[in-house]
Amino acid sequence: MLARAFPYTLALTIAGFFVVPFLINQAPYESTMGLVQKIFYFHAPSGMMMFVAAFTCGIASARFLFTGRRESDRLALAAAELTVVFGLMVLITGPLWARKAWGVWWQWDARLTSSLLLWMMFTACLLVRRFGGPGSEKLAAAVALFGMANVPFVYISVNVWRTLHPRTSVVPSLGASMGVPFWFAMATFLCLFLTLLAVRLRLAEEQDALEELYLEADDRTAFA
Amino acid sequence: MKRVVVCSVIALVLGAGPAAMGSAAAQPPSGAAMDEYVPVADLPPDEQLPAVPLVLIAYGVFWAGVLVYVGTLWRKLGAVQKEMETLKRSLRS
Repeated sequence: MLARAFPYTLALTIAGFFVVPFLINQAPYESTMGLVQKIFYFHAPSGMMMFVAAFTCGIASARFLFTGRRESDRLALAAAELTVVFGLMVLITGPLWARKAWGVWWQWDARLTSSLLLWMMFTACLLVRRFGGPGSEKLAAAVALFGMANVPFVYISVNVWRTLHPRTSVVPSLGASMGVPFWFAMATFLCLFLTLLAVRLRLAEEQDALEELYLEADDRTAFA
Repeated sequence: MKRVVVCSVIALVLGAGPAAMGSAAAQPPSGAAMDEYVPVADLPPDEQLPAVPLVLIAYGVFWAGVLVYVGTLWRKLGAVQKEMETLKRSLRS
């Protein structure tokens, strides 16, 4: 399904990223933070895509653990990589914004710390797959499930604990002048996520097909 | 009885320590500290951090990250496809 939708998601992503800079430029400055607040239009969607990727990875990992299907394992791998990529975007753009807005690069508050931990969990998932040896896919799937379970806590952390990070109520309260660029950027990032997921899945499928071919070659050599 | 007294003393000491530290932390800052502290928003313009480089770096990091990741995927896909073609040819022969 993703492969069939790939040309459309790619076209929408390219079109979206052509339009979004104009919308961000047109959006008004925030009253207290000024220009630096414009990082928000890439920072927040990156964060949401990190959550979407983490959920995708967790659900695919659960499916792999219970059914053993290789397609689910490939999807989990692709989604785990995208969680790390989008997470890295969040963890870099956030401190750049924070340095100007809060006066510090980093604060060990609930949102920032839990986001860092989430990113580290999925990095650990990838490291387990890479270096864990045969059978490490199931261990990585278990780590991914644990990571997925953390996503709701990361999201609500700003509402439950006292943090420097803005609360989740900020986004629904955005006026049209900021809301339109924000939601447009969010839709563009979703298309980007689906496009990257399709490409990464394709790579995983080709790598599995190559492995099958090597096994076939080994069998032929053994019986020759 | 002796054990109860010892435990009570230890509990009092352990409880008093953080309480003392907390009360020390809660004391209002001295006059010198109050005079030197300036909120970030009240800094004079020439001492404020410029926003433009931060915004440019943020967007630049995003684009660099996406392009590097896409480039890596492209390269790996090409290598895998090439290897598959080579292997298929050798299997056919």
